[in-house]
Amino acid sequence: MVYRVAIDVGGTFTDFLLLDSESNRRIFKVPTSPSDPSQGIFNGLELMAKAKGLTIDNFLSNVDVIVHGTTITTNAVLTGNGARTGFVTTKGFRDVLNMRRGLKENQYETKQGPPPPLVPRYLIQTVKERVDCEGKELLSVDYDDVIKAVNVFTQEDVEAIGISFLFSFFNSLHEEQVKDILESKMPGVYVSCSSEILPQIRFYERSSTVVLNAYLGPILKRYLQNLLERLGSSNFQGTLLIMQSNGGVMSPEVAMRFAANTILSGPAVGPTAGLYYASTYALKNIITIDMGGTSFDACLIKDSKPNVTTEASINGHRLSLPVIDMHTIGAGGGSIAWIDSGGILKVGPQSAGADPGPACYDKGGEKPTVTDANLVLGYLDIDYFYAGGMKLNYKAAVEAIEGKIAHPLGMNVVDAAYGIYHIVNAKMAAELRVISVARGYDPREFAIIVAGGAGPLHAGMIARELEIPLIIVPKESSVFCAAGMLMSDLRHDYVKTYTSSFNYVNFEEINSLFKQMEKDAMETLKQERVPQDKIVLEYSADIRYEGQFNEVEVPIKTVAGQVDMDVLLETLRIFHDKHESLYGYSMPGAPAKIINLRLSARGVTKKPSFKPSTFKGEDPAGALKKYRQAFFGRQFIEVPVYNGLKMGYGNRLNGPAIIEEPTTTILVPPEYSLVCDHQDNYLIHPKDQKVEDLITALRRYS
Amino acid sequence: MAHIDPILFSVLDNRFSTICAEIGETMLRTSRSPIFSEARDFVSAIFDQRGRLIAQKDYIPVLSGAAPYALHAIIDHFKERIYEGDIYVLNDPYRGNNHPPDITVVKPVFYHGELVFWSMAKGHHIDVGGGGVGGYNPLATDAWTDALRIPPVKLYERGIKQQDVWDLILINVHIPFLVEGDLLCQIGAATIGERALQSLVKKYGIDLLNTVIDEIFDVYEKKMRLEIRKIPNGTYYAERKIDHDGIDTDRLVTIRLALTVDNEEIIFDYSATDSQVKGFLNSPYPNTVSSSNIALFSTIEQKIKINEGSTRPVTVIAPYGSLLNPQEPAPTTACTVCTCEAITEAGWFALAQAVPHLSQAGWNRWAAPASGGFNPRTGKFFSDIHFMSKGGGGATYGFDGWDHMGTVCTLGGLRAPDPELHELITPFRILNYEYIKDYAGPGQWRGGHGVHYKWQVLADNVAFAMFGSGVRDETVPFGLEGGSPAQKTRQYIIKANGERKWLDVNCFIQAEKGDIIEIFSSGGGGYGDPFARPPEKVLEDVKNELLSLESAKRDYGVVIDIDMNTLKINWPETEQMRKNQKQ
Repeated sequence: MVYRVAIDVGGTFTDFLLLDSESNRRIFKVPTSPSDPSQGIFNGLELMAKAKGLTIDNFLSNVDVIVHGTTITTNAVLTGNGARTGFVTTKGFRDVLNMRRGLKENQYETKQGPPPPLVPRYLIQTVKERVDCEGKELLSVDYDDVIKAVNVFTQEDVEAIGISFLFSFFNSLHEEQVKDILESKMPGVYVSCSSEILPQIRFYERSSTVVLNAYLGPILKRYLQNLLERLGSSNFQGTLLIMQSNGGVMSPEVAMRFAANTILSGPAVGPTAGLYYASTYALKNIITIDMGGTSFDACLIKDSKPNVTTEASINGHRLSLPVIDMHTIGAGGGSIAWIDSGGILKVGPQSAGADPGPACYDKGGEKPTVTDANLVLGYLDIDYFYAGGMKLNYKAAVEAIEGKIAHPLGMNVVDAAYGIYHIVNAKMAAELRVISVARGYDPREFAIIVAGGAGPLHAGMIARELEIPLIIVPKESSVFCAAGMLMSDLRHDYVKTYTSSFNYVNFEEINSLFKQMEKDAMETLKQERVPQDKIVLEYSADIRYEGQFNEVEVPIKTVAGQVDMDVLLETLRIFHDKHESLYGYSMPGAPAKIINLRLSARGVTKKPSFKPSTFKGEDPAGALKKYRQAFFGRQFIEVPVYNGLKMGYGNRLNGPAIIEEPTTTILVPPEYSLVCDHQDNYLIHPKDQKVEDLITALRRYS
Repeated sequence: MAHIDPILFSVLDNRFSTICAEIGETMLRTSRSPIFSEARDFVSAIFDQRGRLIAQKDYIPVLSGAAPYALHAIIDHFKERIYEGDIYVLNDPYRGNNHPPDITVVKPVFYHGELVFWSMAKGHHIDVGGGGVGGYNPLATDAWTDALRIPPVKLYERGIKQQDVWDLILINVHIPFLVEGDLLCQIGAATIGERALQSLVKKYGIDLLNTVIDEIFDVYEKKMRLEIRKIPNGTYYAERKIDHDGIDTDRLVTIRLALTVDNEEIIFDYSATDSQVKGFLNSPYPNTVSSSNIALFSTIEQKIKINEGSTRPVTVIAPYGSLLNPQEPAPTTACTVCTCEAITEAGWFALAQAVPHLSQAGWNRWAAPASGGFNPRTGKFFSDIHFMSKGGGGATYGFDGWDHMGTVCTLGGLRAPDPELHELITPFRILNYEYIKDYAGPGQWRGGHGVHYKWQVLADNVAFAMFGSGVRDETVPFGLEGGSPAQKTRQYIIKANGERKWLDVNCFIQAEKGDIIEIFSSGGGGYGDPFARPPEKVLEDVKNELLSLESAKRDYGVVIDIDMNTLKINWPETEQMRKNQKQ
């Protein structure tokens, strides 16, 4: 038997999905070991080996592929525990990094400092050199300045250095010269050039990105080397792949050079997972939502293509590498409900986290949370939380809501609890509006795919608010991301700044820039042992109207990377359309300008399939556990509660109903019905519409 | 909230704010002028049927309080001639606008034939004609030499583009394609707001929405009253000056404020302020209200959003014919910067007497040019404002001022341009863009750092309109509670022959190829006694080369030794110095 393993290291749990060559799948979960995440990984691998009756060495020798999503770099940035990093930049521009373009987001808030710098000023060294805005050298690199920087960095025990000079995306020679000197004078130090990491216009954004890369490089390198060594000594001979923020995977060797590409490694796989489940029904328009303890991530996918943004930031620092355009708000099971000075009920963004957690966890938390409200409303079971692994304290939940919300607002506890439930749902629905309606997409043309422990309790109400007709809750919803990892392709993104009006483009230059990027892509994918026929290249350009300052990324529909007049005109047409739908207007006659050229290279991996279940009939009576009082339609009613482990292919039921899975609870609102599909996933849809009709209708919008 | 579902209330209150953010995001992403998209000099707002401000997103706060006045001017003007599919435009400061470059575009939102809401996108255009550069004419003496005047007119009527109006506006500006593009961007943004508001009406019905809106106003009024209650009753006086108005260049202009806190109400009374002036500093009443709002809303303990309700307990008195409520046709263009700064500072200075721990020290005042001309490299005309010179923010109790924040009229919402994009468009090469040592006002919490911004002009005949203030001793950023003021801003031009000339604010200069211009923008004012600043923090600034050893000793009483290339606090001498100061 040959195995594939996906490992998603999260803040609280490390999730595993094990798939064998007969397409059987199995979920494992172990606590994350924050000080050394590879320990948690090995705990999980041991568990899997044991389940298969093998020793770990035996088991690992049969593992073909491990795909790994890690939060190690995310945490390093969030906690300020990256490498001791230096920064080298053009003389006269020492503060470009820490100025952060002079922006304060919460303008009226006075009792607040700026985000702590990744590099303190004394570790930022400037070098006399200059390239002009056309890439011509004005001043050559001053060797003495570089040596002065070397001395400071050596004295201060710097482990990593980022280099970013003005206009290096047009001419990278100076950065390369300085890199050579630094590497020869300071062997073992991790050096990263902006022209390598992100050869793209905008000085602060490029500098911040290269500094993040340097700041994280040594951390990720150490971690991966250690992990590879441990896996190797346990007889693992397969391929390890690392999940990236752009939704693709890469080899550990590439990851070590492009460490900043892993900052959003975990959640970025959500859309890929969503697309897998959608593909069962040939759906191309979906919204994935993931609601855990503290946050709610949402991503809209149109025509099977998740949006990628280059405008992410982490802890106040700009990251301009392509990342999946994920919208995150502070709304989760642990979100705290509170009343502001005007008597307005609010939920979040503060979270009680896992410790002390919601009041009902009985770990000393006194503040009412969404989970407390869910318990009071009867949506959660006192005795069946984490498969009965944790007993919830109903009285504590009531007291917290009574004392902090119901009494001050003059409401009864149940109305207050329902208020909390409703407000957090409305908040999430508003977020979905931002990524759909506000961008010109109609949410009614999308299916929603639900992940995260808290997601299936709330998805129904969110969908109702937005009139989304179909909700898919995958059987693996609690290890959703791990499932997606097994479906990911190798992916590398390249960018070159090329600024030109459409009227004056030089096709030779465009094609030569694309050729250069293709060459880089092919080399990298070759290193990763991707066969030629599995390589897919996608071309695009960042375009804007003359005079604008923000671009729209537009696909260039070309075969073999050759751009000519016809291709360009088609690109321009798509640009006008996209501008219209995003921003409410377009100017078809107006001059437009190219700013960046992009290439996205994929190495298509072999996608595993999940084994279909056997038909269990429509009647779910065998799974009925009991009836419970739960709050629906402004009153408590008797609601059937089903055991998800006993439900299977073909089962149908009508809301209101509750289904309890070991790590999540699914709520079917009164107006909805549920059907269990051939892979044991749950499909929830309005009662008065047939699920088959809905799917046909949704397909039509694609 | 007896009669309204508190849950629905919360949901809608939140929804209105996100709609404003959606309008704002559209402007940010699609505008043509760097002032919109890079500097974010605009505001989005939504109003109810009766024209009351429900919510807004103010990237640049000085535009915010002015929005309702502009809408009322439009409603009053068109009265029965407001139709579905109309779009209005306005920039005249004597017809409800704050100052001419901030062009207001507003769209009435209809649902089944009934007017239900208003959606507004208002922002600073790079070019509004007139004799100025980038909208600024320091030599303007009336509203006609200031800029093109647009009274309330229709860009669209019943969905039909009023091409004559567009033609008339666009022939009167220097760079029509930028102005046209930004008007379209504003219309697109207002339309995004319209879509969202219509879907709300469809879902809830307008009657329910109106009831909730009334409630929102009452709740925010109550919140503001609670905050004002935390400020001790009394009348507090403050006086702040502006360097000059561009015409009478040796006369400082003075704003005098008597701020009265009376239980739950607050009155900004500017009756003792100077009369209106000849030059472009005059602040129409909406701008005076906006600037007072900045002072108040940034000082109250629990921050509250600005809407009809939260501004009810606030009264602003400015006599007609004074600097802060001028008579037509006095010029007004610089009011949103120079005059706003002095008004806001006066507010903070007065509030500091009542609630010193909540107020803040003075910020760097704006002083930099707008420039325009022909760029031979690109073969195009350009126009630009030199935002790179943003100086330091003021310190407050518990926190150092933020660096490179710039003028208070933005409260830090103004994003500095990208140096690379800047060089691609303009005929300028940046030579230096860094913090300046010893320029921040010392304090237990020091001011933010100012910036040395220096560039070379690579083309002939480039016009610069220098505007701003803070280059005189009387107008430096003030310190609070024992904190020191910051250094004043200095501006110079260096000619090809090496001659270096000091430059004043509010004047024109003409630069030739090869000339170098440099600005040393002030840091922010300090808060609290500098001798109480932890020596480790002083050492950190020295180590970061932002504070000299001399200033550490003189201003902070911290003696630092250099020992084998390492900086160390000399604790015995430091303690001695600090003890001596106390005695």
